[in-house]
Amino acid sequence: MAYVATRGGERAIEQSERLFRAMLGRIGAERVAEIKQALPYLVDRVMGEASLYDEDLASLALAQTGGELYEAVLVLRAWRTTQPRLTVADPVEQNALFTHRRISAAFKDIPGGQVLGPTLDYSHRVLATDVLAGTPFDFLEVEPAADPAPAHQPSVSAWQAANDLVDVPDPDAAAGEEIPDLTREPLLFPAKRAHTLQSLARAETGGVLALGYAAMRGYGQAHPTVNELRLAEAEVVVSHPNGTKFSAGRVKVSQAEVVSKQGEKLGLGFAAALGWNEVKCIAAATLDLNSKGAPKGAATEEEFFLYHTEGVEASGFCIHFKLPHYVTFQSSLDAMRDAKATRAAEQEPAE
Amino acid sequence: MTLASLTKPWAPMSYGFLDASAKRELRRKMIKAVCVPGCQMPYASREVPMARGWGTGGLQVSLTLINPGTCVKVIDQGADDSVNAASIRRFLARVSGAPVTLDTLQADLIQSRHRIPEEILREDQILVLQVPNPEPLRGVQPNMSIARQMHADADYGRMWLQLYEQIVRAGRVMQGASYPSMVNGRHVMTPSPIPRWDVPKLHMARHLTILSAGREKRIFAVPPYCRVEPLVFDDVPYRVEDHGKLTCARSGATGFFMNEIPQDDGSSAFEVSDSQFGVKSIRQRDGETVELGETWYKGGDLSK
Repeated sequence: MAYVATRGGERAIEQSERLFRAMLGRIGAERVAEIKQALPYLVDRVMGEASLYDEDLASLALAQTGGELYEAVLVLRAWRTTQPRLTVADPVEQNALFTHRRISAAFKDIPGGQVLGPTLDYSHRVLATDVLAGTPFDFLEVEPAADPAPAHQPSVSAWQAANDLVDVPDPDAAAGEEIPDLTREPLLFPAKRAHTLQSLARAETGGVLALGYAAMRGYGQAHPTVNELRLAEAEVVVSHPNGTKFSAGRVKVSQAEVVSKQGEKLGLGFAAALGWNEVKCIAAATLDLNSKGAPKGAATEEEFFLYHTEGVEASGFCIHFKLPHYVTFQSSLDAMRDAKATRAAEQEPAE
Repeated sequence: MTLASLTKPWAPMSYGFLDASAKRELRRKMIKAVCVPGCQMPYASREVPMARGWGTGGLQVSLTLINPGTCVKVIDQGADDSVNAASIRRFLARVSGAPVTLDTLQADLIQSRHRIPEEILREDQILVLQVPNPEPLRGVQPNMSIARQMHADADYGRMWLQLYEQIVRAGRVMQGASYPSMVNGRHVMTPSPIPRWDVPKLHMARHLTILSAGREKRIFAVPPYCRVEPLVFDDVPYRVEDHGKLTCARSGATGFFMNEIPQDDGSSAFEVSDSQFGVKSIRQRDGETVELGETWYKGGDLSK
């Protein structure tokens, strides 16, 4: 009569969640503040993949999931999707970005200059073990340049277009509510340009890197040159109902342009994301660069990489295999056993 | 009239979790799906507070259809007490205030993963099936855009070829669950990973079935009294799992789809997969008065 235990499942899931929560302990505002302050790049990554720019909410998501990144992104996305779309901000032009870091591998110097900005690129990756022994890891004050780089810079591709080296895409006239929104429409193929860029912007960093790296290693047709990589802050300019335009605040953005020789012109790949995430933007731009004319089923084909770098979907499907599948398994067993029995019967020697 | 009288007080969450625009999207696509039976309709599948692949498609449909008077049943692999079924049921009740039930006969809305209950569903009931992979052509064509074109052309030759190859190699069709079926004579659909046992229940059924894949963002439907015919060759009949003669070790019921339970001595015991039907069978055997509905199968054979 074990059937009477029909509510056993509910007790079990309740207790398993309690075990997880107990492991993390009590979560207060100070833990959220500490995460926000200590892990800005992780917060950026989560905000980008969740397509929700709010450092406090992202830090809270990290706190309540214990840093399980897929869970953190899912909890943010599930929150985001219930929020109303109040307005659509103005497009952000490249030369309007407040630029912190901007480098080009294509030229030794570029108009506006190479701006290294904050980076670990040239640091020696040595673990500061002294911290564990009680000596805090201290930083040295930055010495400001006598002649600081301008905060606003033109894009490198603008110079190349002026020199007939690259055909930049025609400006997209869609504005406001006309702009396709991936979070309100299904992704179909061939994808709308806006959907492609939105998908890449919220793609899972590791997934984009894996497929982008495959393209870089040789499973793509185009070798990327980083034309321009930029970390910046963008003003979110919205319109008041009375027509006044105003900035609702700044968001950190990263973007990458990669190019490769395609005949007499340069082919251009582009990606941008909320938050500072260089690896993702370079890998995503490389996929974009390689997608034109890629054969069906190739890692560089748009349908292939957009579907498979969607982290919430991919991780959810992966962990769903933990769910019971005994009905489908039973159905397969039935066919296997029958086929085997029929085969055995056929192989009996004739009397 | 004041502005306050026209607005509702602020609430942290809409009724039934999804906001009005998400529900409108679901309703539109459900209507389209009912109008073109078996045809996959892309929809803007929203994130819900549950992982993708765990019934988020079915959940969005249930959240859209639910109201405080809807009596809800949720099953996973036939069982109401499966952990994920319990989780979904709890969530539906929490955000809608709807009553829940384990009894198929009392349910207005049944969300299910991988099973159709053994008791015949009525015209006033809706079955929502969770779908992991909405594309029956995936095995022969993994590319979604090409597969979509193939459906448009009713180009199912490779589907037939795959079944034929299975017969040639193994002596029978090897498809386990998710048996590809022709709906209304036009679209081949996957009935979701229900066993072959359950597919005939969809044919000319009195109830509406909505199949929803949240991760893959596709919705499709089998309206009431609609043909659902498994793909078979004229000379190789469709075969359900060989469960017709099995008897449930707990309830004594015979002739229903069973779970196989491996035993220490190397043998197998069986129990009715539809857990609440099993519970009712046990109660009936023990002399309690319970209402057992008409079943699709009688004595292990399809009764209609």
